[in-house]
Amino acid sequence: MKKKVGLPRALLYYKFEPMWRTFFEELGAEVIVSPETTKTIKDLAVRYAPDEDCYSTKLYFGHAIYLKDKVDYFFIPRFGSDHEVNVGCPKFIGLAQVLDSLFPDFPEIIMPYYSQAKANHGKRRLLRIIFEIGLKFTYNPLKIIKAGIRAFKAQREYEEQLHISEQQLENWIKSQIFLNEKPNLKMRKKPLKLALVGHPYVLNDNLSNLDIRENLSQKGVDIITSLQMPRSTIEDQMEKLDFNLYFNYEREILGTIMYFLENNTIDGILQLAIFSCGPDSIALELASRYSRRQPETPLLQLVIDELSSEVGFSTRIEAFIDMIDRRN
Amino acid sequence: MPFTYPHFGSLTYVFEIVLRELGRTDIMLPKKPSKKTSELGSRYSPEFVCTPFKLTLGTFIEMLDLGADELGIGGGNMYCRFGLYWPVQKLILEDLGYDFKFFPIPIFDKPLNLVKSLQTASNNCTVWETIKAFRTTWIKTRYIELVDKLHFEYRALEIGKNQADRLAEEAHRKIVEIQGLGNLRRYGKKLPELFNKTIEIDKKKKKNALKIGVCGEIYVALEPTLNLDVHRKLNELGVITTNCVSFGMLIDFGRKINPFKTLPYQKARRVAKPYIGQRCGGEAQENIGDIILYKKKKWDGLVHLYPFTCMPEIITRSIAPQVSREYDMPFLSLVIDEHTGETGFQTRLEAFVDLLSRKKDKMLAS
Repeated sequence: MKKKVGLPRALLYYKFEPMWRTFFEELGAEVIVSPETTKTIKDLAVRYAPDEDCYSTKLYFGHAIYLKDKVDYFFIPRFGSDHEVNVGCPKFIGLAQVLDSLFPDFPEIIMPYYSQAKANHGKRRLLRIIFEIGLKFTYNPLKIIKAGIRAFKAQREYEEQLHISEQQLENWIKSQIFLNEKPNLKMRKKPLKLALVGHPYVLNDNLSNLDIRENLSQKGVDIITSLQMPRSTIEDQMEKLDFNLYFNYEREILGTIMYFLENNTIDGILQLAIFSCGPDSIALELASRYSRRQPETPLLQLVIDELSSEVGFSTRIEAFIDMIDRRN
Repeated sequence: MPFTYPHFGSLTYVFEIVLRELGRTDIMLPKKPSKKTSELGSRYSPEFVCTPFKLTLGTFIEMLDLGADELGIGGGNMYCRFGLYWPVQKLILEDLGYDFKFFPIPIFDKPLNLVKSLQTASNNCTVWETIKAFRTTWIKTRYIELVDKLHFEYRALEIGKNQADRLAEEAHRKIVEIQGLGNLRRYGKKLPELFNKTIEIDKKKKKNALKIGVCGEIYVALEPTLNLDVHRKLNELGVITTNCVSFGMLIDFGRKINPFKTLPYQKARRVAKPYIGQRCGGEAQENIGDIILYKKKKWDGLVHLYPFTCMPEIITRSIAPQVSREYDMPFLSLVIDEHTGETGFQTRLEAFVDLLSRKKDKMLAS
């Protein structure tokens, strides 16, 4: 019988899904991913997670608890960073051991530690991690190496497809191509152009973002997400700061906002943040202060938590869109 | 060009020492934060940023009003958002219309970079002079922390009132003013004796006094305004306390490069490995380790303080119950922010102390 590996569909899953899935499938394991966040999972999350964690981390707890009886292993990497100096969130590092400590009845958690920035891990460490995990599933070293190589290739291909080029960005600004869902053009002739900015685990999780993508496309809005922005554009923007923004995932968020505030090529920016997210509290303030200095492109910042109601949320978005319509 | 920095418990003296050694004569000592400071800070801060941000911002606003225009604060790349305080505070203060300059000191960077950034804040020091100044600072910090330790012990046991406070204040000032390392060492050796002679203590109390360590996020654990003076509250209940976290150890390169010595924080990180295998910012790993180390030292309990929304300390708080259960070490976790009520805090501490003293009585009886 195949061994089952559980991947909770939350946090870093949205970033590294192709890599993890390919790796375990190549090793001959069965990958079980928790379903898209539902009301049940949210209730589990709110009930069992530590009450001070951010909303996304709470949802992670919900997904993990939902999966615990269905799998033989959990895969929760303690991921520090994949950049020389910039780091991720400290919670990603502690998450696996917190779950292990809070819920002793969990199946075995596979928790490799990898951090390039603070622990100076390199390719040798990766190879060791691949073998340590691989030997749990198969004793064939060739198969393990092959799985590792294919996993990284899958991740690279996924990222190449996700990140658009600067040329594509220009084409999108000129309304020649669509990058996401096609906007519904019944109500208006020309679609509004908005940038939707936030973490991948907020923008892709329809329960935590309260279905904002569907909502926007129904209102005739053409969006670009911060996940798709060309990496070179973001790095160019980060060069302009007089300090190093060392949270790797905030760079993408702030870089996108700064780019559109500076160029004024779109109608508005919508930033989604999660309540009590540490890095977001910094990025929110920086973004709002920069927007005050360059006020041409309007910026709406929305903070979400488990108590946010869909109605209040969509009212604010409608008001924002009305405001843009009046400006044009 | 008056230079100022945030108030930081007894470390305020450390920062004063380093600036004096760097040849600055225009130091403005930060005012002790008050209720007004934290209100001022919270008014202009982001909504769910951690509490130290609000208090330091409040202090900066007050000091800028008093005429300071050079601000020193920690910076550089680290795990938590402390290194990003200054860019955000800079934007906020600029919007408030102040004219100033920030000096971010990268405290977790390589030693050479640290020295270089100290040099930019100095009064035209060469690199060698800066290194010498830095060395003097870390040696003086050892004695500052020694005074703190004695202070928290004698304050719990003293018969008269406020003797320990007065003496500690005097000793701190003396250490800041003293010239020459020889004089400092001679003075430092006399310190325990000085406390012993000056302060009359209750000998009977000393025998069965409870001992509680205060650990947690370093700013909250060390700044009396923010932690509602937890040491004094515990001392007044007759409990001997100590600081488990220490800033001196982080900058003490003299002891760090000594291969024959393991510093307490390195030991703590080692014993915490099975529970939390790697650093994840803040003092998470050290705090978990301290539970085990202070149990071995036969201390009675630990009080863990952390600011609201602090990312690394939430990890500590989630893992600590397991460690505390396995080692039978009482552990009280308290979250602090600008709205923490004094009475509620006091009640919890009293309950914790009652619990420990009952436990101790039981152990002595059996």
